Amino acid sequence: MPLFTKARSFLRNIFSPHRGEADLDREVQSYLQLLTDENIRAGMPPTEAQCAARIELGGTEQVKEQVREQQIGNWLRSVLSDFRFGFRQLRKNPGFTAVAVLTLALGIAVNATMFSLVSAFMLRHPPGRDPKRVAVVTSINPGNGFLPDANPVSIPNFLAWREANQVFADTAAADQYRSVSLTPVSQSTAGQPQAIRSAAVSPNYFSVLGVSPELGRTFNDEEIQPGRNRAVILSHELWERQFASDASLIGRAIRLNRENYTVIGVMPSRFHLTGFTPQLWTPLEVTAATQTANARKDRSLLLFARLKPGVTIEQARAEFSALARRAEQDFPEIEKGWGAAVRTFPDFLLYNFGIRNGLAVVMTTVAFVLLIACANVAGLLLARAAGRRKELAIRLALGAGGLRIIRQLLTENLLIAFLGGALGLLLAYWGIAFVRANMNFNEAMSAVPLGLDSNVLLFALAASTLCALLCGLAPALNASRTDVNNNLKEEGRSSSSSHSHSRLRTTMVTCQIAVALFLLVGTGLLFRGIFMIEHQNLGFRADHLLTANVVLDDARYKDASQQSLFVRNLIPQLAQLPGVEAASATSDLPAAGPGTVTFRVQGQPEVPANQQLTASDNVVTTDFFRTAGIPLLRGRAFTEQDTPLAPRVIVVNQEFVNRHFHDQNPLGKQIQLNVSGTASQWSEIVGVVGNVKTYSEGIIDDPQVYEPFLQRPISSFSLMLRTGSDPSALASPLRTAVAQLDAELPLANVMSMSALIDRQKGGNPFFVRVLASFAFLALILAGIGIYGLIAYSVGQRTHEIAIRMALGAKRPDVLRMILRDGMKMTAIGAAVGLVLALPLPSVFDAIFYGLHLREPRLYFLVPMTILVVALLATYIPARRASRVDPMSALHQD
Amino acid sequence: MGSEPTTLLQGTLDLLILKSLVAAEMHGLGISRRIQLITGGTFVVKPGSLFPALHRMEEEGWISSYWGDSENNRRAKFYRLTNPGRKQLEAETKRWGRISLAIAQALRAS
Repeated sequence: MPLFTKARSFLRNIFSPHRGEADLDREVQSYLQLLTDENIRAGMPPTEAQCAARIELGGTEQVKEQVREQQIGNWLRSVLSDFRFGFRQLRKNPGFTAVAVLTLALGIAVNATMFSLVSAFMLRHPPGRDPKRVAVVTSINPGNGFLPDANPVSIPNFLAWREANQVFADTAAADQYRSVSLTPVSQSTAGQPQAIRSAAVSPNYFSVLGVSPELGRTFNDEEIQPGRNRAVILSHELWERQFASDASLIGRAIRLNRENYTVIGVMPSRFHLTGFTPQLWTPLEVTAATQTANARKDRSLLLFARLKPGVTIEQARAEFSALARRAEQDFPEIEKGWGAAVRTFPDFLLYNFGIRNGLAVVMTTVAFVLLIACANVAGLLLARAAGRRKELAIRLALGAGGLRIIRQLLTENLLIAFLGGALGLLLAYWGIAFVRANMNFNEAMSAVPLGLDSNVLLFALAASTLCALLCGLAPALNASRTDVNNNLKEEGRSSSSSHSHSRLRTTMVTCQIAVALFLLVGTGLLFRGIFMIEHQNLGFRADHLLTANVVLDDARYKDASQQSLFVRNLIPQLAQLPGVEAASATSDLPAAGPGTVTFRVQGQPEVPANQQLTASDNVVTTDFFRTAGIPLLRGRAFTEQDTPLAPRVIVVNQEFVNRHFHDQNPLGKQIQLNVSGTASQWSEIVGVVGNVKTYSEGIIDDPQVYEPFLQRPISSFSLMLRTGSDPSALASPLRTAVAQLDAELPLANVMSMSALIDRQKGGNPFFVRVLASFAFLALILAGIGIYGLIAYSVGQRTHEIAIRMALGAKRPDVLRMILRDGMKMTAIGAAVGLVLALPLPSVFDAIFYGLHLREPRLYFLVPMTILVVALLATYIPARRASRVDPMSALHQD
Repeated sequence: MGSEPTTLLQGTLDLLILKSLVAAEMHGLGISRRIQLITGGTFVVKPGSLFPALHRMEEEGWISSYWGDSENNRRAKFYRLTNPGRKQLEAETKRWGRISLAIAQALRAS
């Protein structure tokens, strides 16, 4: 019952306070009247009676306030009234409010926009049941490279480790990077074959991850037997796109890799992994052939396993390190130096995507921008607080508690911050749309669900609150320590408090300048790096080239001779297409990261197995160098005479010669290549070509070796067509020519070479441009900060300036004085920023693999820019100061 | 001495108000004078303490109020004891008895 009464009173106090107020007023008045009556009865004259009554009451308002203070729900009422008061204050100063809100809005908008990336990548839950209890096992490649810890595991190791480990309840494996050709069969004719990204998985893969199919079932144990494994599970997207969400597809056959596969299930649409998701799954074959020594070198599997209850990821890591070491002992030639890495599923997805460093850089930058924005707003608040000194002094004198005043000022700041946050969210909505539209440089990125989700909203709320606290703390603390006496006197410009104010603001502006300089230098370095990479000479002509990937499947092209025949038939056909100047095939496109091979030079001493010389290795057809526009420097390129029966020949690049032959003539020297899967043979160097960058983003030249296709046919290669006109016009004739030879062979990634290079660059250009805009935003905000501070201090010093001018100072003198103060502050800030920016190049070297950024000009250019901005920001108020009319300034107070 | 009950003795003021309302329903001034009377002039309750206490106790539900006419036909707000208020008075009286006994005992000890 008491709770009910209290609740009723609470609600009444909050929602209809007026009735209570009126009642209270009446009660107090009635008390006064009764008291007066009592005094009159005691013999006092009426006026004296009333006076005495009032004195005994002690002040109507005070009594009423005391009653109010202990009413239930009073805290809420006073908070609401604080908000109302704050709102009124802000409305009275629209200019100030607008600038403060807009500044914070900009800071919060950029932060929220970038946080949406963090939310999409790092805060997304991978699909399945309890993904943190799923571990992913990969191999660690002893050689350095991109993501060395995420190498796949070989089949023999998978089988051995599955049996031997004690930490996993169930272990599954997936070969994620397969490609199959899907021949759609419609009612009329067979359509064009497509290359579909697929994965081969063990039957327990889906149950380990804890995902159930939306339709049908997953693989059972029988389906990994050869001959019974023509079952396929489709992804939701493929099922929608290619088969029109036909539910009756289960049990029917589709044509994959020239064979009929039965569709047994469809996965739900939410089953996709950050990065590349397979479009369909087939059973993983594990046969005797997959357990030979060669199979050990073929690392293709990622292991997914569910941890036993109570087992930690560290225990799993330790166990697999031990297992990897045992493998090293058992098979030293193959497993030497290779380790095993174990990560939780979410960690692995994040690591594999490789975006964590970029995200860290971006989030740090926008955090700095927000800090600068907060500093600006704090400065504004300090200035306004200085102007309200008298008001605060009066309130303190009337008995307001210091805490109450702080609370009210904080409420005003919260209002500004939340308004800024709301506006910032609106701006962020557009910002996110912009980022999403521009982040489609490859499939993986476009699949990322970027949007204004609940994480971003919470983040914006937290950021606004933090801003309110940061911005408001300094002026609020200052206010509560207001010296009442000094401020109530006419001379409100007491030097002590304005000094502490301006010292604080000067420090803040100096920090802003330092941070802005730091950001600008960092961005400038990145810009320079990207520019250098984009404009370097790759070593071949990337223009006017159409490329396509071909994978000759085992069904028809098991033999080397079949592969060779196909290429021998295809290339001349392609060369004869109208518009084609040259055509060739290559194992890897130029500057696209070829495979490597170890080799020995005849006449040079033998080296132990793990220190052998390596070079990139490309298998190319005869016209390759002409098609790619790689200059032939010495000797000859390959010809039709370089058949399997003729002596083996190779061509090397200039860097190879520089490293291994110095000034000797390389032509005629013999090299023995160790190609996995074939016997090592001695080949003669017959030609030297120009260097081609290994990666389009690489800077160093690596030694390269080229082998003729006829002497070592391969099943997976790329076609290159050089044309005089637009390469994409050749796409359709290319498909037709290939279809004439093999109607079911798909072509993948048919695109021009320049488009391919753009795709390889990924998000770097966009990323750097985004960072640059943030850095400039920081600079602008810092400039506004300088302007605000100087303008304000000039306003404060009008009196002083007027006196100086009356005493004989000329306009230029005043100008110089103000400019000097402003520039001094800027110079200190710039110096601090420069010192902070000195270690940036080394930091970038560590973060961005292979990028060596050195740009001394930047360390001169950026400070100059900042000085110019600061000069401008200082000059405008300085000029106004020098125009002060001494007489009128001295007269006003 | 005309000392006022401070916030530390808030419970004491509540007790006195409840006790004065046992006899009859009264308005605020009446309660104040009655307390003065029954404590032999020791406690003079000023409006600054009385009003907050009355309103608080009303919110707790121990007393209820209504507008009526005073002796001189002035409109005044009268307060009466509720049943929960009576129970509260009993409980507080017992507690006060225990406390004063304990303190007296402590003061007698050597």
